[in-house]
Amino acid sequence: MQKRRDRCLSFFLLPEDRIASIRKTNVTFGRKDMESYPRLAFRMEESRLLSFSRLLQQGVTIRCRVGCSVSAFLREELHAKDATIEKIQSIMLDGKPVDNLEAAYVSDGSTIALSAAMPGLVGATLRRGGAYASFRTAITYHEGADIRRSGEGFIRIKLFNLLMAELGPDLLQRGFFLTSKEFIGFIAGLSHDFWQGCRQVTLNSEPIDPLKLRDPAWLFHKEQVFLIVFLG
Amino acid sequence: MDKILRIDVGADGGPKATTVAVGEYAGLGGRALTSAIVSKEVPPLCHPLGGENKLVIAPGLLSGSAGSMSGRISVGCKSPLTGGIKESNSGGQPSQVLARLGYNAIVLEGNPKDNTLYKVFINKDGVKITPDNSLRMLPNYDLIAKMKAEYGDKIACISIGPAGEMKMCAASVAFTDMELRPTRHAGRGGVGAVMGAKNIKVIVLDDSGMPIRAPKDPQKFQDANKRFVNGLKSHPVTGQGLPAYGTNVLTNILNEVGGYPTYNFKQGRFDGAAKISGETQAETETKRGGLATHGCHRGCVIQCSGVYHDKDGHYLTKQPEYETVWAHGGNCGISDLDKIAMLDFLDDNYGIDTIEMGATIAVAMEAGLAKFGDADAAIQLVHEVGKGSHLGRILGNGAAMTGKAFGVERVPVVKGQAMPAYDPRAVQGIGVTYATSPMGADHTAGYAVAQNVLKVGGDVNALKPEGQVELSRNLQIATAAIDSTGMCLFIAFAVLDQPETFQALLDMLNAFYGLNLTGDGVTELGKKVLSMERDFNARAGFTPQHDRLPSYFKSEKFAPHNVTFGVKDEDLDKVFNW
Repeated sequence: MQKRRDRCLSFFLLPEDRIASIRKTNVTFGRKDMESYPRLAFRMEESRLLSFSRLLQQGVTIRCRVGCSVSAFLREELHAKDATIEKIQSIMLDGKPVDNLEAAYVSDGSTIALSAAMPGLVGATLRRGGAYASFRTAITYHEGADIRRSGEGFIRIKLFNLLMAELGPDLLQRGFFLTSKEFIGFIAGLSHDFWQGCRQVTLNSEPIDPLKLRDPAWLFHKEQVFLIVFLG
Repeated sequence: MDKILRIDVGADGGPKATTVAVGEYAGLGGRALTSAIVSKEVPPLCHPLGGENKLVIAPGLLSGSAGSMSGRISVGCKSPLTGGIKESNSGGQPSQVLARLGYNAIVLEGNPKDNTLYKVFINKDGVKITPDNSLRMLPNYDLIAKMKAEYGDKIACISIGPAGEMKMCAASVAFTDMELRPTRHAGRGGVGAVMGAKNIKVIVLDDSGMPIRAPKDPQKFQDANKRFVNGLKSHPVTGQGLPAYGTNVLTNILNEVGGYPTYNFKQGRFDGAAKISGETQAETETKRGGLATHGCHRGCVIQCSGVYHDKDGHYLTKQPEYETVWAHGGNCGISDLDKIAMLDFLDDNYGIDTIEMGATIAVAMEAGLAKFGDADAAIQLVHEVGKGSHLGRILGNGAAMTGKAFGVERVPVVKGQAMPAYDPRAVQGIGVTYATSPMGADHTAGYAVAQNVLKVGGDVNALKPEGQVELSRNLQIATAAIDSTGMCLFIAFAVLDQPETFQALLDMLNAFYGLNLTGDGVTELGKKVLSMERDFNARAGFTPQHDRLPSYFKSEKFAPHNVTFGVKDEDLDKVFNW
């Protein structure tokens, strides 16, 4: 089992520290998972990462440990340092502003969105634990009494504004899932600049002509795509 | 700055300019000055487009000085849109130029004898008013090009477009920016219609030969200004977020929390939000050779604006602000940034408030005049306004008028003015301000987040819902005070988090005028302004029943959180109890 998992992790070409982190979560990948998703890898010039900004805003799905606090998720899954967490002034869990990072938990299927401090009264209102939190009481996140199941699951993560540059590169290099529809939209929106800065594309470890990706036929019957970005 | 320029547009032989001492209005600037003059001199029951109404244009207390962020200008009158008192403010160059010419305010008053259109030229030598019917129905960009050809490029202009000439309730007053483009607008409340009713098409300002206004204590002023700038630059909002992405950076976060009014306030999320977000907008601007970081006037250190180019790399408009992108974007179901930028240009060119126009088009879409998401139809509707067709006359008079004309019940207005880009069911505290502000639904009326510094009315328990009323009161007081200084409201972000930045602002005012203003003094100024405005509205016939949101906000659940506006009427009535 251990060998198969390591092979799987290598297959996804995750960085060593990420592999170590997943090993600690005591989960296994099934063969079905490995075979059901096309795995695309882009090798990009770092200067072209901006092309992924709309994806990061719309959200991408990662497979990770769930049942942990938002604080733990940020530190352990996104590898956010204290300074970055300080910069994250607004956190939305399933569309609801979170005030206490220790008391809010991510579950399988959660959506978490991260933003730096935003302008205006509403920007201030949405800050975690801010003076104007009462203005949005009706939508503030409150942890329910649900049993929090630890283990592995899927989390949708959205990065906004200054946090795209802060956390985006790590997220892109970690790899993420897109639905076929999202992937088609992403590919359709890519400019000439992007392809100029794209040094190689592989599909399931085999080089592929990027032009073929524009034809959605290759995604026939595929619900999701796993996409990973390498720099350099 | 010690005089007021009064222009009697009804004088025999044509408009007559008189310069008078500032007198009893000394020490007031911006909103405090416009509201003081309107409150004292305009009969509250007058017709907004009649001879008894006055249009007051006033720079801020520090405008024309070396003080940073001091370039806002206020426009006040009895509003044709709300029927109450109005202060609408704008960025751009005219505030600095008018202040350097020594004027605390320009007051347009009286009733024109005929329909001759006039231009006003003001420089160090005085005021010249000239009839010029060749300017009739010129859009703002064409008008300013003509003024530039006539007076050179060292000028700043205050003007109206065709919407103002047609006295439409959504008409704005335009102010030129650093590039001499008419991109900055006092948009809200139909102030442009009042200027149109005075038959003044444009005021051209030239401060050549006039020095920068000097403070009483230059050293202290310079020191305070330096601390103030450092405070703004070190704050994450004013130093990073706003310069990088502009105000439209709010789109994603509002959408995420389900507070982004979409399809005429039907739901709180828009699928196309990421396509029109500030992040995408900045990326687009940079890629096309525009600017994602730019100021609206000299002396701005926040630089929240930008320059938007079309697909071919040609100038299209200034960077549309969050409220504009929302009004013409998500609220109308439009997710094409280029079309939204075109709508922004057209609004500026015809001289229309972008918020009112976007809200109006959404109401028109609900009425079936166009489909939600049809950007070309939206553009055509704005052209109708510019042309002054029968349909355009309805649309140009705002969302409330359009709702009545087409039998739409869901019209998001308070006191006749369209709500901005934050749904009051998701963010209920802002609904308190929408409902109770003397200005009608206005997000900037309670914008100055200075609670931690000013402590207006004592500490408030922010975690209790009833604290929303107290907070809204305090925000409105702080905002009225900042609007009166003529400082950009965006300084409030740094002031909230950094008391030393607020102190630096006070020190600037004190060093400039030789005062000893304290935080309490600022609070009193804010209360005084609001009291004047509330008093005017009461005399104009406003009652507590006008301080309400449309009833459907209390009954219609707002997705995705399925919330309704829950603040009780009796609590709304307590907002101004101080």
